Amino acid sequence: MTYSFQTTKVLLVEDNAPMLELLKGILQSFGIGTIITAMDGEEGFLKFCQNNPDLVITDWMMTPCDGIALSHKIRNEKKSPNQYVPIILMTGFSEKRRVFSARDAGITEFLVKPFNTRDLYKRLHQIIERPRQFVRCEEFFGPDRRRKTTKDHDGLQRRQDDSGNTDEQNEDHTAEAQNNDGPLTDIDFL
Amino acid sequence: MDIKHYNQTPKRDATFITPPNIIKGKVGSGGLSEQVLKRAQKLLETHTSDFSPLADIYLSRMLEGIEKAENTNEEDVLEDLITAILLPCVQLKANGAMFHYQLVTRIADRFVQFMEVVECLDEETIEIAKAYHSTIKIVVAGKIKGDGGKQGDALVEELNRACMRYFEKHKTLKV
Repeated sequence: MTYSFQTTKVLLVEDNAPMLELLKGILQSFGIGTIITAMDGEEGFLKFCQNNPDLVITDWMMTPCDGIALSHKIRNEKKSPNQYVPIILMTGFSEKRRVFSARDAGITEFLVKPFNTRDLYKRLHQIIERPRQFVRCEEFFGPDRRRKTTKDHDGLQRRQDDSGNTDEQNEDHTAEAQNNDGPLTDIDFL
Repeated sequence: MDIKHYNQTPKRDATFITPPNIIKGKVGSGGLSEQVLKRAQKLLETHTSDFSPLADIYLSRMLEGIEKAENTNEEDVLEDLITAILLPCVQLKANGAMFHYQLVTRIADRFVQFMEVVECLDEETIEIAKAYHSTIKIVVAGKIKGDGGKQGDALVEELNRACMRYFEKHKTLKV
């Protein structure tokens, strides 16, 4: 048995028309049933509210409204139909500080361009099979940013419930960290 | 008692939420077959979209950024000037290889790394930016697809050397 994306709705936001078409073709060849497209974050949010997709794939650098702003809207605006929707952010940036700012905007997965279809599939697989908990605190709402937490963490435990519930999470995250050595890319940045 | 530090940062009151896994419920299990992945990859490798019009837009923006940096005034903010050169180049890096111009991605990637660490936009920085701009322009205009072979390696190496000479001169940089 394999995945069937027939009933899956994906919102694809990309301001570069040839790239948008290319990505659409790749998603179609994965068997995605419905692909809704938008050319910037503003239009993307409008279509997100109208269609309530199961997944959002967005470029970072777009004008007037970029992928980070779109993510903020999806996660925080009242009219957002699903604040928990998985968001994959595509970008040419791979420097840590840039990646961290995307992470802080509530991105679920980060996909560095250029990429191949297997890279994109890995993010999809991650979202489907290893969904992330969400965290709500005073200054942040979004997927848990502590993906790479390990058991031997010797820094501060800064969350109120850190002492109570981290065993299972740590085990999970440690396994993932071990599988993701190498240069800073998307799934191992968190 | 094993005390590592005395930092008493107040603990944040965070709530954990496990949202329903809607997408998993729809797609089932088993992953995608190798055949599907290969078909998708083939599409990516064989599409015939023309990169030149897109590259020209980014190259023009990059040049505008360089010219602005050359004719800077007191009101200009360094970060904005760097960004104006950097962002179009990030786009060239991101899109080049997606449109079969792996050499463009490789050259642009080196320049992005360079621009991420420079702390000023002096004459030498601008000269390097111009060199990268011209090289990418030549690659696109010459329709040099793929990695450019040995000539591609030589080009990248030459640009690398220019950057290393720059860093040698600006040793105080926090690279």
